[in-house]
This record gives sequence, structure tokens and C-alpha cells, in this order.
Amino acid sequence: MEIEVISFGKIAEFIPQQKISLSNVSNTDELKVYLEKDFPALAGIKYKLALNKNIVQSTLNLNNNDVIAIMPPFSGG
Amino acid sequence: MSDKKIKNIFSKGAISPLFIADSISKHSSKTNIGGHSIFMGQVRKDEIDGKLVAAIEYTAYEELALNKMHEIREEIFNKYPLSCMHIHHSLGTIKAGELCLFVFTSSAHRKPAIDACTEVVERIKAELPIWGKEIFENDTHQWKENI
Repeated sequence: MEIEVISFGKIAEFIPQQKISLSNVSNTDELKVYLEKDFPALAGIKYKLALNKNIVQSTLNLNNNDVIAIMPPFSGG
Repeated sequence: MSDKKIKNIFSKGAISPLFIADSISKHSSKTNIGGHSIFMGQVRKDEIDGKLVAAIEYTAYEELALNKMHEIREEIFNKYPLSCMHIHHSLGTIKAGELCLFVFTSSAHRKPAIDACTEVVERIKAELPIWGKEIFENDTHQWKENI
């Protein structure tokens, strides 16, 4: 399946927006492992995922054409 | 309330003190109001490792932030007897000394306005996907972290 990855804040400095083809990755927990392997800088920092504009609280299944956002800790205000 | 349309809280650039004054004056016709509470966030010229913050550049995951803000707004209106609540957050580059956040709550008596204002500010900082990049006077940067 193919998913779109977008990222924000300091994570956007090393993970540009891109489409990723996945095999053997079916949920967001497995995606985290995949991303941290592909982008080692991600492994050392705190981040949250959002799947199709909903913040991921516990693992969710992925589907073709899903949009995943990788978000570092918020710092608005 | 849940059929209410999602309001945009974001605008590009600093929040002008004149906009805030105008916003206050618009409430003079709402004579059931007895108390307003206002929070204004201002970009601080922090010194970090000898470098001074010249500006903060704000970005957001706007759609997610506005959905979340809508949820927070509904929860706050259910919790406190407010007459109204207005929220504005800047995006883009805001210079030190300029305003980047404006939260304005009003109620018949002071307490709900004050408590709702405090709670909304805390929730904006903790729950909205917004990021501040602190730009130093020498053009280097670091990513802001909320305390």
C-alpha cells in the first residue's frame, strides 16, 4: 500500500513530505518502527502521529492512501 | 452547539493592539456582560546561549488544530456560563514584542470569564498542533518548547 507522510516543526527539517510504499506494515505501531529505522533522527525525539487528521492515541490500522502526520511536541501560544 | 461551524483562529502576522481594542469595544452593546478576561501572548526576546530571540515563526497543522479548538470551545462553553469567547493565534513570523495570541472571554460575573480564559490558554498550549521556531538575531534558530 501507499501512504502519504507529512511532518511538522523540527521533524519537517529531516522528513520532507513524501509518498511511501509499504509492505509488511499494517498499523501505526509498525509504521513507527519503520519510520524510526528509515529516519534514525526520529528515534531520539518525542513525537505523535495523526492518521487522516486524527491524533493517534492507540495503534490504528493503515489503509491505502492514508495520510500520516508526524508531529513533535506542540509549542503554540 | 455541535452543529456550530468551525471557526478559524489563525491569521497571518502579529495581532494588532488596535484589533484588540476594537474587539473590546464591540462588546459595549452586550449589556448582560459584567466581566471580561483577556490573555495576550507576546513574543519574548529570550537569551539562549548568548543569542537573542528576534522573532518566532509559527506553523500549524491547521485543519487538525481547528478541529481540536472546536472541541475545546464546546467543552468550555458547557463547563462555564460564558457570554462569548474569542481566540486568535498568529501564524508566520512574529517579532519580539509583538502579540501572537489573544484569548478573550466574557460572562455575567467575573469568575467564569477568568477561569475559562486560563483554561483555554493552557489547553491551546498543550493540545493544539502549533509549532514555534525561535529565530535568533544571527539567523540561526531553535524550536520552541512549551513549559
